[in-house]
Amino acid sequence: MDSLVKIGLVTDKYHLEKKSTQFLKYCKNVADVSIYIEEDYFLDFSNYKFDENIFFVKAKGDLVLNLAKLIEQETDIPVINSSRSISLAFNRFLNSVFLRKAGIQVPDFTLNPVGKSPPYKDYIMKNIIDQKSYAFNPQIQKKGGYLKVIDKRAIDESSGRKPKYTYVYFQEFVKSKWEHKVYIIGDDIFYYKQIPVLVNPDKMKSRIEIEKDQELTEIAYKAAEAIGLTICSMDFLRSKKGIYYLTDINSSPNFNYLKNGPKIVGDYLIRRAKT
Amino acid sequence: MKIGILSKRTGNFTGKIKSYFESNGHQVSIFNATNLCINESLLENDFYILKSKHMLYLYAGYYLEANKIPVIPDTSLSYTHKNRIESYFAIKKTGLQLPSVYMGTFNSLKNKLQDSYFPLISKPILGSGSKGVRVYNSFNDINPEIEEPLYLESFIEGTHYLAYFIENDFCICEKKPLSNEHGETNLIESDKEIEEYLKKWKSRYNLLFGHLDLVREKNTNRLYVVDAGTFPEFSNWKHEIDPVSKVCNLILKKFQEVIKLDNIR
Repeated sequence: MDSLVKIGLVTDKYHLEKKSTQFLKYCKNVADVSIYIEEDYFLDFSNYKFDENIFFVKAKGDLVLNLAKLIEQETDIPVINSSRSISLAFNRFLNSVFLRKAGIQVPDFTLNPVGKSPPYKDYIMKNIIDQKSYAFNPQIQKKGGYLKVIDKRAIDESSGRKPKYTYVYFQEFVKSKWEHKVYIIGDDIFYYKQIPVLVNPDKMKSRIEIEKDQELTEIAYKAAEAIGLTICSMDFLRSKKGIYYLTDINSSPNFNYLKNGPKIVGDYLIRRAKT
Repeated sequence: MKIGILSKRTGNFTGKIKSYFESNGHQVSIFNATNLCINESLLENDFYILKSKHMLYLYAGYYLEANKIPVIPDTSLSYTHKNRIESYFAIKKTGLQLPSVYMGTFNSLKNKLQDSYFPLISKPILGSGSKGVRVYNSFNDINPEIEEPLYLESFIEGTHYLAYFIENDFCICEKKPLSNEHGETNLIESDKEIEEYLKKWKSRYNLLFGHLDLVREKNTNRLYVVDAGTFPEFSNWKHEIDPVSKVCNLILKKFQEVIKLDNIR
């Protein structure tokens, strides 16, 4: 009998407890899973041994990313998603730069010193580094017919008690009736649409599955390739002119929202595992 | 030419570069944390000098390169120098010796760190020089309230060096442990091993100038690289050659090469 594929799950306590239960339940019968938890793992860069066939990174903390980097640098074991792609995905400014460079439509953006307004009439101020597991917390202002949305996380990180940086990221606001959501797991792609979270914060309430959209498929795969992700989700807004704008890309999507999501992810990892 | 300098300071070496280029007929603007907006407005300059490695300036570098505006030194290489883990692998790939490196949260360190690991030195992952650096002589020195994983290096006891290079010119100085680039130093006339380290480092990454911080271990005489920088202030450069004109001319030469390459493509 062939031995089971060995999957290393690199994660943190939050993702392990809140997001990975169904995945682990599925993998129990089809793979041998070892778990590396950020809060408990001691990373020694000159003393390590890995016998896994593949690593799955389901978190984005510094230790998680540097463990992934060590595995990438020192072994030939596949790592999904790569440390670089995760770092790019959670950095809103850098992913905007790399996506636009690849020819993907993203809303206009600027990085300004705190206190300097962006050159857009309608805009969203977002946090730059979306590495922590806390949710979008928008403050919506309408002045003179223009919309200003400020994510409280952006304020905390740039002007709070202990500012991490002294500049802020602005994205031009794209008006759209629907927010389109795409999930990619390797060659599988899933499409949904929902009322934008600014209109209805309960995104799942209005979410409906939609049919395959060729244009969205091409954009989504091009974007995933530009950032280097093979498992991800993306949010798109569609302007009045019918242009899809990519507004968010996530390296650690909640695949429990997909029918059979944990199985699709588990099977994909097994297919990609080193033999 | 219109030249932009991405720098947290307007004086010191940045100010000297600006004056040198201006005295040679170029138009120079310095972009710092108070006036740098990263958007299309930056695209009016011919090229940029990435003087500081703070993330803000690296962001600008990535933005400019994505828009085909040359940035010198290269942004990715500057990031590699800025991120200690990237830097660790870059130095290791060059075949130079490094101290042991560890990472962990307070709890994982508590379980794994034995007395024999100490002394250890903690450094910010995204950092350079001696800013935010701390020495721990035992586990009890580590603050239990630290929430983020700590980056730790073995503290090498021995003689500390600051070694600059500008093209093929080297300047090697002995310095006090953990002192920054501006501290008091003594010029070393010659150290073949350090020179070999500098040659390997600059040739592996095609660097025009920069520096390495090194330590020669007291007990073993082994030479370790403990930090690397893409754009020092050269405040301890002790040779006759003027670092400002030499660095500026190397930058201009590099820019001409980049333009030539772009035209061929």
